[in-house]
Amino acid sequence: MTIKNNPKRLGVCLTISFGIWLVSCTLAGKETGPSGLFSVPEGFPEPVYNLAVNPVTEDGFQLGKKLFFDGRLSRDGTISCGECHNQAHSFTHHGHGFSHGIDGKEGFRNAQPIVNVAWQNSFFWDGGVFNLDLFAIAPIENPVEMDEKFPNVIEKLKKSEDYPKLFKKAFGTEEVTSERFLKALSQYMLSLVSANSRYDQYLAGKARLTETEMKGLALFKEKGCNTCHSGILFTDHSFRSNGLAAEYTGDLGRFRITENESDKNKFKVPTLRNIEVTYPYMHDGRFRNLEGVLEHYADGVQEVDNLDPALKKNPKPGIALTKEQQGQIIAFLKTLTDTEFLNNKRFSKF
Amino acid sequence: MSKSMKFQVLLCCSVFLFCGFSRYEKPKNTEGTVILKFNNLFNKEALDFEKAYTNAHGEKVKFTLLNYFISNIKLTKEDGSTYAVPQDSSYFLVKQSDPASKEITLNHIPSGKYSALTFTIGVDSLRNTMGIGSRTGALDVGATAKGMYWVWNSGYIFFKLEGTSPAAPEKQKNVFNYHIGGFGGYRSKTMNNIKTRTLAFKPVVVSNRKGPVIDINVEIDHFFDQVNPIKIAEKSSVMWGEFSTKISENYVSIFNLGNVSSK
Repeated sequence: MTIKNNPKRLGVCLTISFGIWLVSCTLAGKETGPSGLFSVPEGFPEPVYNLAVNPVTEDGFQLGKKLFFDGRLSRDGTISCGECHNQAHSFTHHGHGFSHGIDGKEGFRNAQPIVNVAWQNSFFWDGGVFNLDLFAIAPIENPVEMDEKFPNVIEKLKKSEDYPKLFKKAFGTEEVTSERFLKALSQYMLSLVSANSRYDQYLAGKARLTETEMKGLALFKEKGCNTCHSGILFTDHSFRSNGLAAEYTGDLGRFRITENESDKNKFKVPTLRNIEVTYPYMHDGRFRNLEGVLEHYADGVQEVDNLDPALKKNPKPGIALTKEQQGQIIAFLKTLTDTEFLNNKRFSKF
Repeated sequence: MSKSMKFQVLLCCSVFLFCGFSRYEKPKNTEGTVILKFNNLFNKEALDFEKAYTNAHGEKVKFTLLNYFISNIKLTKEDGSTYAVPQDSSYFLVKQSDPASKEITLNHIPSGKYSALTFTIGVDSLRNTMGIGSRTGALDVGATAKGMYWVWNSGYIFFKLEGTSPAAPEKQKNVFNYHIGGFGGYRSKTMNNIKTRTLAFKPVVVSNRKGPVIDINVEIDHFFDQVNPIKIAEKSSVMWGEFSTKISENYVSIFNLGNVSSK
């Protein structure tokens, strides 16, 4: 008996194949997120994060968001990720030079924003973590942040009333594992994409920049700010020394990880997206406003070990900028503020 | 479909079925079991957290924690050919506080006469860079691998020894701790303290009826003086940095062959 001479069987076969196709479509649709949970914005490169091993789903995103705002991740239940990563400030700890953690303890670096992390190839100012999925364990276990042991968090969630059900929704069974926990948190963080600032709208031909902002943009390129803060992500993800006086905290940056002399004083080049709201600035938060940052580049760059060549082009280290030009660059930087992102209710706790 | 095609399909199906079943029906006399027993010792006696010892530098010590990863186990036959335990089942965390963890049972070892054992003390660099989905069992940072992973500088701690000694600073509550890791880095080169040890022995038979128990003596007394002198008074807390390499040079050669017996 062959398919050819048995129309009934052919029918059954076709129905089954159609069924499989239908199911695979639904699954695929679910994985990529029909509501645009994660998509690559126009003009952005391919993400660094491998979304194939952890596709963002609605239930995974919701679980990740709940975890992000849950104090149970900390030793005494008081500190959640959201505590130091505040949405209104592009998920950073506004107003604090060093971020505060458990028992009011102070960390030794300024919390970084969580934005466009799908394109980030290393995490923390010194790049000590190289995979987003391995990132969240660090603040959880840091004695001055959440001061909890990661296995204890997993145990707490296993015993909780709410989480096993949510893990089932997101991953198919009630099992709470470190892999699922970290992947859910990653799904939430991956969704924090900012690509709709006034500058993006300007690029898309949907908005205009003022004359001052346009001058700032031109200077940003002309003066080589985009050497490091390059491309649509406004960072080249490298580690560089921008000539901050090291005595301030004694923090040697990337050297802490590689112990390589040539990495002394180097810190990760941060993105400039939403820079207006992520104050204070630098790894130690030494500058309270953008005026302070621009003054540093114009006038305050120190000839420290490994000072970046881009800041050694003039007889005086730094970037030659008049007060007026500094103001113009700041005006341009403020066009990188994405109010839709900062106010998006989908990302908020409530 | 022609007759010959039908025959081909049938043949394929039967071969497939045969292969499928034969995997389970494979006669077991082609493989056996090898047991590795890790004996943590001090001055040739079983290490005891309750006891006080004196190291080669005259420093009084008491231990509170000893953990190490054993991975990438390989067995070498008399003829020089090797058998590597499949990667996914070749990671073990040995903990002094957990007697069961000190005995590693390796199943499905092909029959033959073996004369050497090779293993890594720590976790290889490839596994150190793998995604969270490949970090299960002994490597689960949210369970078994508790305390054996650096969160701020992604990587496993290979060998961890902690205790107290009057030689350790008072402001540190006389605690000493050696946390040694470093897999060489992901995007930039960093410290590499991955150490591999090979122990040779008189050929032993592995078959479905006979399997050796290989005792590995871990001489903690020589942790302090095997190659480089490690004085608690000078270095009481080492977790990263150049000196950690000196420590790894010491501990790799305190893993020595003990008894090899047949079961």
